Parts: sequence; C-alpha cells; structure tokens
Amino acid sequence: MARKLNDYTKSREIFDRAVKVIPSGVYGHLGPGEGCFIPVEAFPFFAERAKGSYFWDVDGNRFIDYMCAYGPNIMGYNDEEIDEAARKQLEKCNCTTSPSHIMVDFAELLVDTVASADWAFFAKNGNDVTTLAIMTARAHTRRKKIVFFKGYYHGVSPWTQKIDYSGVLEEEVCNNIYVDWNDLDGLKRVFAENKGQIAAVISQPYMHGNFMDNEMPAEGFWKSVRELCTKNGTVLVIDDVRAGFRLDIAGSDHYFGFEADLICFCKALANGYNVSALCGKNFLKNTVSGISYTGSYWMSAEPFAAGIACINKMRRLDLPKILMEKGKTLTEGLKATAEKHGYDLRVSGAPSLFYLRIANDDSLMLHQRWIAEMVKRGVYLTNHHNHFINYALSDEDIKETIEIADEAFRVL
Amino acid sequence: MKDNKTLAYINMFAILGSLPKLCEYDKRAARLVSLRESVSIAFEVNGGPSATFTFGNGTCFVLGGSHECDIKLYFNSCEHFNAMIDGNAMPVPLKGFTKIGFLTKNFTKLTDILSAYLRPEPEALKDEKFFNISTSLMLYVIGGAVAQIGNNDKIGRFSASNIVDGTVCLSIKDGPAVYVAVNNHVMTAHLEKNAEPRAVMQFADMHTARDLFDGNVNAMDCIGKQKITLCGMISMLDNVNRILDRVAVYLA
Repeated sequence: MARKLNDYTKSREIFDRAVKVIPSGVYGHLGPGEGCFIPVEAFPFFAERAKGSYFWDVDGNRFIDYMCAYGPNIMGYNDEEIDEAARKQLEKCNCTTSPSHIMVDFAELLVDTVASADWAFFAKNGNDVTTLAIMTARAHTRRKKIVFFKGYYHGVSPWTQKIDYSGVLEEEVCNNIYVDWNDLDGLKRVFAENKGQIAAVISQPYMHGNFMDNEMPAEGFWKSVRELCTKNGTVLVIDDVRAGFRLDIAGSDHYFGFEADLICFCKALANGYNVSALCGKNFLKNTVSGISYTGSYWMSAEPFAAGIACINKMRRLDLPKILMEKGKTLTEGLKATAEKHGYDLRVSGAPSLFYLRIANDDSLMLHQRWIAEMVKRGVYLTNHHNHFINYALSDEDIKETIEIADEAFRVL
Repeated sequence: MKDNKTLAYINMFAILGSLPKLCEYDKRAARLVSLRESVSIAFEVNGGPSATFTFGNGTCFVLGGSHECDIKLYFNSCEHFNAMIDGNAMPVPLKGFTKIGFLTKNFTKLTDILSAYLRPEPEALKDEKFFNISTSLMLYVIGGAVAQIGNNDKIGRFSASNIVDGTVCLSIKDGPAVYVAVNNHVMTAHLEKNAEPRAVMQFADMHTARDLFDGNVNAMDCIGKQKITLCGMISMLDNVNRILDRVAVYLA
C-alpha cells in the first residue's frame, strides 16, 4: 500500500508569520532557499520535537532524519546520558563570572582524545574557531595569504566568503588563493609564486563540498601538503567542523595519517549543545594567548558538560566505526534499490557522511524529484549537501528508508 | 561600483538589445520600423562593444559587431556611448547622412518608447497591458545584462568562472523567458525559452517578477512562499544570482 504523503499546512502558516518578522523567514542553511528545498512544497519548515533518529514537524509528520541538524546530532536527539550531564551542570551553574572548572576537564579530555591537540580553546560556532585559526596563523607567521581548496566551506565571516558575495569587500578576500582539490602541482605552484607569504592552508579533511560528488584525498596528498606547509613555515589548518568524530574520534587528520597544526571542531562535539573548539599544537599556544578573542557565552558550562559526556560516550562506543557501518548498510541498500529501478545513484564521501546524486541526468532535476518523494514520505534527505548518520539510527530505520526509497523510485 | 566598459556592453546588448522584443510587443514601435527598405545602423564604440541593428518589416534584428550598414555611428569611448544612451551626448556619424532622418526621427522615437517601458511612470503601470510589456522587457534586459556582466565586470567574471557549462533559464510562468547559455565561462543571452535548460528560475506571475525587479519583495521570502521556483543545477543559479546582484548596481 502506498504511503500517505505529508501535509505541511501548519509549517506554511508559521512561515507566513515568520517572513513578517524574520529576514527570509528561516534564513541560512535550515531555510528553504539556502537549504535547497527543491521543490519547496516537499519540505517541512518547522520542527515540534525530536528523539533519537527522528524529528516531528509542526504538522505531526515524523521524519527519519539524515541531516541530523546538519551534523550536531551524532548520538541521537535528546540522548539521555548527555542531556542528564547537561541538566546536572545547569543545576549547578552555567553562564557565570568565573568559568566552571569543568572547562578544564573538557580541555583535558579533548587533548587526550584528539591526536594533534596539545590545547583547546572554546567558542560557540564553527565559524568562531575557523576564524581564530586564521588569525592565529597570521599572527604566528606575520603573513597575509591563505590557501583554500575550491568547494570549501569554512563559515560565514567575510574572509571565508568570496568577492561576489553580498556585503563582502574586495579587501577582505584579496589575500585568498584558491586551488583545486587534490591538485598538488597547483598547490606547489602557489607556494612557489607566493614564497614567504602564505600564512595558512585551510582545508576540510576531504572534499565534502555541496553540489558535487564528495572526493577523498588522493594517495599521498595529505603527506605532501603537510610537507609543503612545514617546509614553507605555513600553518596547516584542518576544518573538522563537519566531519569531526564521524571518521575518527582522534580527529580526521589522524584518520588520514597526518597531523594538523590547528584543528577546528563544532557540530558533533556535544550532540547539539552549543560549543566549538579550536585545538592545536604547542608551538601556537602562546600566539593564541596573544589574540583578543572572546564571547559572552563561550565559557558556559552546560555545553561543556554535554561535550564531556558526548566524547566519553563516543570513545566508549568507538562510535565512528559504528556510524561507518550504518552508513554503509544504508547506502548499499539505496544504491541497490535505485539500480532495481534503472537509476544510477552515486554515493560518495565517507559512509557516515554520505553524499548522494542520481547521475541519469546532468541537470540534477531527476535527483531533486527523487529527494522530494523521499521527504514527502518521511525520510529527510537534502538535495545537494552531504548527509549525516547518528548512533540512534536503527536497523529498522534503515529498512524503512530503503522501503520508502523503493516507493519513491517507483513513482518517479 | 560601475565599470564603464561593462555598462557600455549592457547598454548595447541588454538595453538596445531588447529593441527586437519591443517591436514584437508594441504596435507603435513596430510601425516605426515598418519600412519599405530596411535600414541598418552600426554602433562602434572605441575600446568597447559594437553591434549592427537592422530595422524593417516591423521588426528589429541585432548582430554583434560592426557589419555592412546604412548608418555608422562612432563613439570615441565607452563613456561617450553611455552618455549618448543617457541622452547627454551625440554620436559621430561616419556614414549614412542620407538616412539620418531614420536616426533622428524613427530611432529616437523607438528608444523613447523603450525608455517609457524600462523606466515607467507609476501611473502607467496601472494599465495591465503596459505593465505586462514593461515587466517582460525588464526580464529581457536583466537576462541580457547578466551575460554582459558575467563577461565583462570584474566581480561578474569571478561569478561566471564558477559556473559550469549549460543553460540557465529565467522565466515568468505562462509568460516570457530568457536563457543564458554558458560555455567555458562565457555567457550569451537568448531572449527566448530553452527546451532543455540545466537550471531554471521561474517567477509565479508577472506581479512577483515585477516586485522582485523593483526590489519590493525579498527573493528568499518568495522561494519559501513558492512564488519563485528553482530547479536543476543550483550552483549555476547560485552564481547567476550573484551576478543579478550586480545587475541592480548597473541598472539602478
């Protein structure tokens, strides 16, 4: 029997109110524009509650959620162990004049967990710590230029954006140099052409950009990048905000067999509690100390408690391995189902952060139609962003997802 | 910040480039170019664009470059050409003194009609027919300007450098459409619908398009309210959208 399709009446009513008082109604990646809700009518706008691998929207539709709030939900929504730790800390103190001592516990735990970390600095969002990483690299090297790999996303501060972005000045991005992913020769050329001028190379651990199949580093790529940075006195920054703890509990640089100078975490760090961390090598610790950088809520204790509980649980479970297995089962099932219906579903990236694309047409319209059919039936996938696996995702959820995929392919 | 060369290309190929559509939509315009013998005017801009416009049988046809023509007009710089478009300078006629009457009478009247549609009086827009023609012509001008900015403006070229090959179609539902073809980051505007676009941005109706063009509504709100629908290669639309931001700078 065909599944009932979702109705989003209440979501739309709330959106009508939202646009009157909030720019874009829902701005940024969670909104219909930047979130690529294509077609918009297939997607919910507002959540009511969440538990485990599901969230329910305001119309009561339940979704098996493969976006996990775009990464933070790594253990499952409302994980009891993590929430309990946060609740207990909240009863003691949260935002106080002197920071809670558990900040030190959290830093020690991160230093003990992340292979390349000698210290940890806390903030709120990924953008806070990628920005601090760049400021640190510039302060340490006294150089201006930053190398990016095309397809990158390192936040929303002007330095992360491009010359054609609204509100960004040419002066804010004129020291940015763009190199193709995996293009070692291109990177060497850039180093040669900018001798003694490159403060940092910043990169995600593998290319998990939007709108394109995700791409792993080529054999020997990271080893060579590491060598180039060391040889040229350039700081190597790994932005592990998105992939962190889904590849390797010790950091994605560890997963790929090299050591970053600075590594940025957020998203999965505390299962949705708002904290981010910049970890780094000892030789940069004094430089960070000399940078004026702080925020009103950066030392709040509740997210620290959640982060400690989250990391301990991830370590205990050897979580990345479990997430990889779940992702593999799911994506193999989806791929086989697509094949059964004559569709070429390409799966790329790490299984715990899988990216999907139906390759039968080069406009991606077919892919967008399939995603819409999935969402309308209660499987929350997105069109052009990688997905996320969480620990609460059960075998039953995966089975249900594949059944829905079968129906969605059938109605295409 | 506006670049004079880019503005000259916009004036030539997006503004004057919409004359064929004007002749198609407006009977007065068609009558002005209902000539027994066709007349062609070549515009040559030193250090800038050149194009040849041929008028006859109630139609207008544009060809890029300076070709065989009856009247040839020379401009010593992009600034000179842009000033002529603004009505603040005169061209230097190099050829066609016998046909100068077409230029001073018919062509001038034609561009006056075009200006009335592209910079309309609020009162004029209350007439539905005028409103629809004005909005349609704006769509064509915007489509043309996207291509010129993507090819000439420094920031626009950066956006174009991030666009993959294919066609992007901008359309008004049940109404006009324009598509921009991208080939190796070079953009060409076509004032018609494309049968197999790689990416589509469609406005729900004329009023939505108009409100967007006039900056009276927000595109993101419209997407959420399904007044604008997007599909296909969104990275293309994302970058075209950045060029559209520049269109507002040039056409404001």
